[in-house]
Amino acid sequence: MGIRFVLMVNKQGQTRLAQYYEYLTIEERRALEGEIVRKCLARNEQQCSFVEHRNYKIVYRRYASLFFLVGVDNEENELAILEFIHLLVETMDRHFGNVCELDIMFHLEKAHFMLEEMVMNGCIVETSKSNILSPIQLMEKAS
Amino acid sequence: MEQLKTIGRELAMGSQGGFGQSKEFLDLIKSIGETRSKNEEDRIVLREIETLKTRLANPNTPKFKLKEYLIRLLYVEMLGHDASFGYIYAVKMTHDENLLFKRTGYLAVTLFLNEDHDLIILIVNTIQKDLRSDNYLVVCAALNAVCRLINEETIPAVLPQVVELLGHQKEAVRKKAVMALHRFYQRAPGSVSHLISNFRKRLSDSDPGVMGATLCPLFDLITTDVNAYKDLVISFVNILKQVVERRLPKSFDYRQMPAPFIQIKLLKILGLLGNGDKKTSEHMYTIVGDIMRKIDSTSNIGNAVLYECICCISSIHPNPKLLEAAADAISKFLKSDSHNMKYLGIDALGRLTKISPEIAEQHQLAVIDCLEDPDDTLKRKTFELLYKMTKSSNVEVIVNRMIDYMININDNHYKTEIASRCVELAEQFAPSNQWFIQTMNKVFEHAGDLVNAKVAHNLMRLIAEGFGEDDDTADSQLRSSAVESYLHIIGEPKLPSAFLQVICWVLGEYGTADGKYSASYISGRLCDVAEAHSTDDIVKAYAVTALGKIYSFEIAAGRKAEVLPECESLIEELLASHSTDLQQRAYEVQAIVGIDAHAVENIMPMDASCEDIEIDKSLSFLDGYIQQAIEKGAQPYVPESERSGMSNISNFKSQEQHESLTHSLRFEAYELPKPSMAPHVPPVLASSTELVPVPDPYNHTEVHYSATPMPSVSNAGSSELKLRLDGVQKKWGRPSYSSPASSTSNNDAPKIQNGTTQRDSVGSANSKARDVSYESRKPQVGISPEKQKLAASLFGGASKSDRRQSSSSQKVPKNNSHSADKSHVEKTATSDTVAIKTSQPPQDLLDLGEPTGTSIPPSLDPFTQLEGLLDLTQDPTTLNTWWR
Repeated sequence: MGIRFVLMVNKQGQTRLAQYYEYLTIEERRALEGEIVRKCLARNEQQCSFVEHRNYKIVYRRYASLFFLVGVDNEENELAILEFIHLLVETMDRHFGNVCELDIMFHLEKAHFMLEEMVMNGCIVETSKSNILSPIQLMEKAS
Repeated sequence: MEQLKTIGRELAMGSQGGFGQSKEFLDLIKSIGETRSKNEEDRIVLREIETLKTRLANPNTPKFKLKEYLIRLLYVEMLGHDASFGYIYAVKMTHDENLLFKRTGYLAVTLFLNEDHDLIILIVNTIQKDLRSDNYLVVCAALNAVCRLINEETIPAVLPQVVELLGHQKEAVRKKAVMALHRFYQRAPGSVSHLISNFRKRLSDSDPGVMGATLCPLFDLITTDVNAYKDLVISFVNILKQVVERRLPKSFDYRQMPAPFIQIKLLKILGLLGNGDKKTSEHMYTIVGDIMRKIDSTSNIGNAVLYECICCISSIHPNPKLLEAAADAISKFLKSDSHNMKYLGIDALGRLTKISPEIAEQHQLAVIDCLEDPDDTLKRKTFELLYKMTKSSNVEVIVNRMIDYMININDNHYKTEIASRCVELAEQFAPSNQWFIQTMNKVFEHAGDLVNAKVAHNLMRLIAEGFGEDDDTADSQLRSSAVESYLHIIGEPKLPSAFLQVICWVLGEYGTADGKYSASYISGRLCDVAEAHSTDDIVKAYAVTALGKIYSFEIAAGRKAEVLPECESLIEELLASHSTDLQQRAYEVQAIVGIDAHAVENIMPMDASCEDIEIDKSLSFLDGYIQQAIEKGAQPYVPESERSGMSNISNFKSQEQHESLTHSLRFEAYELPKPSMAPHVPPVLASSTELVPVPDPYNHTEVHYSATPMPSVSNAGSSELKLRLDGVQKKWGRPSYSSPASSTSNNDAPKIQNGTTQRDSVGSANSKARDVSYESRKPQVGISPEKQKLAASLFGGASKSDRRQSSSSQKVPKNNSHSADKSHVEKTATSDTVAIKTSQPPQDLLDLGEPTGTSIPPSLDPFTQLEGLLDLTQDPTTLNTWWR
């Protein structure tokens, strides 16, 4: 299935966005997020951007105070996922202009909409920034 | 600065139209953002929950407010609290006409509910309506929801519309319709099996986005059935070519790479299609080679594509040119400073070693660097590589490394994994029995409670069965060395329960078999185990049953069972145990001590753990007894199914009833003595009733609980039988004792194997074998500090048959140059015939390389040759229109 979840968590371990492509209960999510963030925080910049956790492989990238974490299964190309994270950030950047943690917090639904365009059923389906953003811009115009 | 930015953004947001937020919302987000502790955050969220509960209940809430509340609800759940009280409002919002509200409603619903939630049924109608909307953005929103919310049962409700939307004029809709169909395929492949052709059709969609999305379902389909899609290989190759030639819109570029994510997906698909298929693979060589040549390996994304090329190359039918290019790329990865690159390099190496085993050798030092790197991810990846390249010549070094690592990690998930890998490698490549036992001991000692129970049973089985060769001496050597090592280890504190069970079982079965140790010594040690683990009933059960075996072997050998005082007191104590299982075992041991040799031989035959045990499920041995009872006027038994009058029950049900029927029968068996049984073969059932004056109900429940660990133990020898016995023995209890005995009761064949004659010879052979094993162990430990040495042992490899060679390799003057090491390895290889067979890589290479060698003469460039081929095969209907 490829991507199992996309998380944005700040360095205090607070979740800023969570999208799961398989169902987990709130408790499971809470536990998982805590464990993963602890693991990633313990790593330094030189180390791999990939961490194994339970059955997941976590690909993570840090932007200022915010961690972007993508859980994938074994067959995924980790480096491509790492770049996918950057594509997501670039897309948000184009929309918000110099995106920061607060943009995502204040516009949680928009961040989700972008992700909805990019990932479906755990697969990357859209990588063209204009295609990703056009529905959101149209929606903004309409309302 | 941060503050200023915040204020600036707030101001800016105030002016935003539809997405504008209230002061209250801004304050909430700000306070959540500023919390410094989880407690504080929880307090805010709990307060927010109360606020939302009252606000949402107000029927006059304006819609834009409702939308904001929904987003606040999203926060509640995202931060780990239950927001189920508000789910219904999310559902309601999906009914809204306004697109933004609707989409927010759908978003909230997809985040809150899983596809089996009761509320989904309230949305299906809305989804149906929205799929018909004129506004394509509404249709898209609905399709997003379809992908998340429709389960197997509701698929038919939306399927026709989704199929219709595959031909929608807006590419965004077509793309999402493809993904909705993909979702249905994931959920219930049967529901869309007649629609699969649509995916093929969409591959030639005029929009590259739709084409790109279609690769996802096609990838899944090809994974499950490669052969059905071989015809598409030319299309895939063509598409990939177009992508690489930048015929896609610029907006798909990422870091100057044309649509890299589509390239990667296509390479994955090609890898699947070309796997083990020379003809199909040949179509791909040119394009994969082109990509690798042109790639910009300074960017991450370029390397991601490059890595995917290597994956593809190692999956398809090997091509020498491509393999060479892949090897070059790998060495670039491994030489990089970036850990991410090294990680990919190690992974790629693991893939390629299957085809060209010699390639790992070229990078031995890089691999060892990664193995010793403090970065855990890199280390684990390297262990994965080592696991893949393990052979009998390097198994010792690799497994020892793995165990060392295993001991030092806390992550139970990974510990379990690496332990099972150690076991697997040890089982597959063990150079000697002694080494195998030692390795298993270490695994059990450090991860005993994590390893699968099956591993313990396998170990017991292996010790019981030997290595399958018809060499009894070797088998008894194996057992003796196991006993030896267990007696050595047994005193250590904190041994895991599973390991102690193995130890007790082995000591019981084979502790006295070679005559080296007296029965009283072994039974004393067993007693110590039981006493030291007085809280572990299972271990105690194993120990006491083992005692019983020791005594019965003594009696069978014509000696008197000498019960040590401490054993006696242990048995005394267990006779009064709260666990009826332990009680029963104690009574059994007590009874065995009092029986004559002939009876004991039947109850506890020597070394019979591997014998098949036939279980008479119909209890036909009771027929005589039943006959007698009926003659005396007893009512014949009426099966439950007939009693209840249900004659038309399905097979399955009647089977179930049959099961419960055996249950009730067993009760009878326990309660009634069987005077009719032949006296010289004490049938287990009869004897157990005599021996165990325990109230039946207790016995019944207890047996169920405690019998579980035992069954597979006593039968560890008979893998085929194991499954069948599991169920049966649960019902019958006390397997270790009853299983051999019950077989005698059904089938009087004597099971006694002559243990005594073997004993003397085995004893001496064993001690010799032990010495050898210890001697050769020591040098192994000394190797690791020297990287070069490690490299030699990992990659060059001394032979399986002779470990003395690996120790002699240490005496070779320390010539630290790589080539010297290698040449030494070659020397050892030629000096030992067995080594040639096991560790000489070129032979493997030849095997694999040959087919390619003959098909494409190495002097010719396969690319140019294939280019011509491709032109001919190019399909005029090349499914693609979008690049024109």
